[in-house]
Amino acid sequence: MPNTEPNGMLHGTLDALILKTLTWGARHGYGIARWIEDTTDERVTVEEGSLYPALYRMERRGWIAAEWGTSELGRKAKFYRITPKGRRQLAADIEQWSQFAAAVSKVLLPA
Amino acid sequence: MKFGQRLRSRVWRASVDDEVDAELEFHLEMRAREYAARGMSPDDARDAAIQRFGNINRVNDACRALGRQRDNDMRRTEYLSELAQDVTFACRQLVRNPGFTAVAVLTLALGIGATAAIFSVVHAVVLRPLPVADPDRIVAVYEFWRGNSGNTSAGNYVDAVAASASFSHTTAVQYSSFNLGDTADAERIIGARTTPGFFGVFSTTPGLGRVYTEAEDQAGHEQVVVLSHRLWTRRFGADPHVVGRLVRMNGRPYEVIGVMPSSFDFTQQTEELWVPIAFTAQRKATHDEHYLQIYARLKGDVTQVQAQAGLSRLAEDLHRRFPKDDAELGFAMTPMMEDLVGDYKERLFILLGAVGFVLLIACGNIANLLLARGAARAGELAIRSALGAGRGRMVRQLLTESFVLAMISAVLGLAVAAWGVQALVAAAPEGVPRLEQTTLDPAVIGFTLLVALTSAIVFGLAPAVRAARSDLQAVLKEGGRSSDMGGVRDRLRTGLIVGELAVALVLLVGAGLLIRSSIALQNVRPGFVPGGVMSARLALPAAEYPEAARVVRTFEQIAEAARHIPGVEAAGMTSQVPMGAGGNGNGLRPEGKAIEPGNIIISRLRIVTPGYIEAMRIPVVRGRSIRDGDRQGALKVMVVSEALANAAFPAQDPIGKRIACCESAPDGKSPDYKTIVGVAGDVRWRGPGEAPSPEFYLPAAQVPDVAWDWIQRTMYVAIRSATEPDALTVPLRNAVAAVAPGVPLFNARTMDQRLGESLATAKFNTLLLTLLGAIGVVLVAVGVYGVIAYFVTRRTPEIGVRMALGATRRDVVALVVKQAAWPVGLGIAAGVIISAGATRVLSSQLFNVKPHDPVTFILVALTLAAVALFATLVPARRAASMDPTRALHMN
Repeated sequence: MPNTEPNGMLHGTLDALILKTLTWGARHGYGIARWIEDTTDERVTVEEGSLYPALYRMERRGWIAAEWGTSELGRKAKFYRITPKGRRQLAADIEQWSQFAAAVSKVLLPA
Repeated sequence: MKFGQRLRSRVWRASVDDEVDAELEFHLEMRAREYAARGMSPDDARDAAIQRFGNINRVNDACRALGRQRDNDMRRTEYLSELAQDVTFACRQLVRNPGFTAVAVLTLALGIGATAAIFSVVHAVVLRPLPVADPDRIVAVYEFWRGNSGNTSAGNYVDAVAASASFSHTTAVQYSSFNLGDTADAERIIGARTTPGFFGVFSTTPGLGRVYTEAEDQAGHEQVVVLSHRLWTRRFGADPHVVGRLVRMNGRPYEVIGVMPSSFDFTQQTEELWVPIAFTAQRKATHDEHYLQIYARLKGDVTQVQAQAGLSRLAEDLHRRFPKDDAELGFAMTPMMEDLVGDYKERLFILLGAVGFVLLIACGNIANLLLARGAARAGELAIRSALGAGRGRMVRQLLTESFVLAMISAVLGLAVAAWGVQALVAAAPEGVPRLEQTTLDPAVIGFTLLVALTSAIVFGLAPAVRAARSDLQAVLKEGGRSSDMGGVRDRLRTGLIVGELAVALVLLVGAGLLIRSSIALQNVRPGFVPGGVMSARLALPAAEYPEAARVVRTFEQIAEAARHIPGVEAAGMTSQVPMGAGGNGNGLRPEGKAIEPGNIIISRLRIVTPGYIEAMRIPVVRGRSIRDGDRQGALKVMVVSEALANAAFPAQDPIGKRIACCESAPDGKSPDYKTIVGVAGDVRWRGPGEAPSPEFYLPAAQVPDVAWDWIQRTMYVAIRSATEPDALTVPLRNAVAAVAPGVPLFNARTMDQRLGESLATAKFNTLLLTLLGAIGVVLVAVGVYGVIAYFVTRRTPEIGVRMALGATRRDVVALVVKQAAWPVGLGIAAGVIISAGATRVLSSQLFNVKPHDPVTFILVALTLAAVALFATLVPARRAASMDPTRALHMN
């Protein structure tokens, strides 16, 4: 599965963003995409071609769980929730990200 | 969450595709709505949403694939977690009912263990291939003459078998014994004289040194020997430098040239050394002395049928070339494996069948226990069912309990089998090939687990299905005592009784028939009086005793010396004692009959010294016995058995008549007639179970010189004493040593021992089958008891009412017994019908008893009925002694 990285999004970052989004509550796929876009003032666009395969992959890994529910507009939609395993993964991702960001900062933004 | 996941995996099981379609469609709709909210027209918004999505088909496919993987993972996880749950639950159930568990596990472990033990013997003896390359390509070849197969002559081997194009290797083998070592430590070793092809036939290379060549298989060059691994370790201390050493055998020096690998010791009984057979030109031209064992390896993809056809053509050729010696000659062949274990195959498979029957009865009892437990657990199961457990799920869970039970029993059963194999090997009679190699190897363990799994299904499936099918409402309403359900279960339970009794009856009829045969065999008169007779074998080395006259004199001196041992009443020498090894068959032709195959009587030759017939107390029914005056120069005489007299001269007085025999064929001399001077009683020389066949006795002093080569200067000494014959071994050894120093005495046995050994295998088989029958009966008794006790418990209130209304104890007992009568009767009837067909497999093992022997059938049926009645009476009497008031309150 080719991993497109829109806006130069770094590999593995999408997973972390999705997990983080879900810590605020269950959301459907569109909701996740909107939330990330809104929160980043649309600086990060989530491409559908990456989002949905990522969701299925993460569900298979047991990081997130899906349930059918009713959307805010009364339509049936598939809602994702983060699992305890997903939270552990998110913690690891954040740790990795901050180390990476600190390292990159040392190069790009020397004091 | 787990519940949601599981539900989803069920709801969406068949429709990952729908799931993905719906989810992506929802996304497009939401995105279009977003664009519409920003002011686009609905159509434009939809287009923009699709535009933004990119390649929707590719995403859809990717999600479908991932979703399917996800569902598979989930199903597997779910299955495993359910299995883990079931196993845990099953273990908890078993621990919670220690009584049930103990009884079930012990019963099953015994059944499985016994089955595994017998199977490991069958595997070791019959099923395991020989440890050589392509053992199924090796055949044993026999001469075939008038429906009888026998050993082959050197001429026929060379002209037909060795000449056949069907074989890649052939070998002629003469098993014989060797006096190995010098006078002080001489030991009797069974060895084989073979052509060099032997090692090619068995496709084995020596572990040390080499095997002999064609050049060494020539008279004058044949003093080389190949040792077996067994002999090399036992006698030569596994000396790695043994090759090149000289050893003395039969008084001549032989050079050790090789040692075979240990895998070549097929059995404990096989020969321990090999030397070249070195046929002389004269021997190769001899077609009527049949003493060779022939083995051959089929060439390439030649089938046994093709090889047989080839040999038949060669046999026709022999008919033309040697019309006198090879008339009517044919060849027969059997696979080597069949040849080695053929006798034991049938017996062992019958035992395996019998032990399988015992296991079946054990399974019946476990099924019965499970039914009882199912009834006790009806409430629990009903609640689980009410909470949504599906029927399949409940059956699976109950079967898991059976499997756990079976696996525990299998582990314990393997321990039982390990012990059982030891006991079997220790108790089995000698001579069962490869028996001592029995081990619990992976094949046996695999078989045991398979048996355990199968029994789990046999005993567990019906109770599980019944329990899961129980009528929910009725159970909950009646607190686990539904009468409808009871009815269904009662049929199953009575069915178990019927089945168990039928199987047990078959088992017992088999054992009964064998016991009757045993008794019949004990009562057979063997034709001689075995009590008080000691017999032993000795061989005079050809190197030291070349001339026939010296051989005769030495044997006669040994007999004379034996006669002087205190307490000895009679002593004599013979080329073969009854049930002993050795012996030759000869074709005899009564005088006056034309030389044609139809007039030839195959008869067993006994070369004897005066005193042998007396020592064995073989009755002389007419004329006289062999006596001292029967020497060279005197009238050539023979004593014939009654069977031979009747075959040669039916309804005539045979005394004074003459029979031609024992001429050396190729020189074509005029027939050598012997005059019949006496008729001896028939001897069952192959064992009490075998009908006597024609025999004739020749005085040792009158046999042709070549006869000593036929019997390899080997004779038995037989002595009769008034004292314990066992005590004669040492004085006999001394007597022989005084006459022929350095000649070892071997195979010393009393005739009672020989008789016993000839029956040992049959007796052992009978003992085992009887033991299995007894176990079967005990299990059946327990089974019948269990079912009837259950009926009594269920009918306790009814019995209470009857007693309150005036029923006597007798009435109550009769009521319960009647309850058991029809399944018991049906079971016995079914067993009789099955036995009538099944006992045919035993027919070759029966002696003087027909497979449908009514006495056995009736006795066994009565015994089983009595056992069943007894098993019924225990709960019946308990029911009868109940206090009616308490019985009434049981409900």
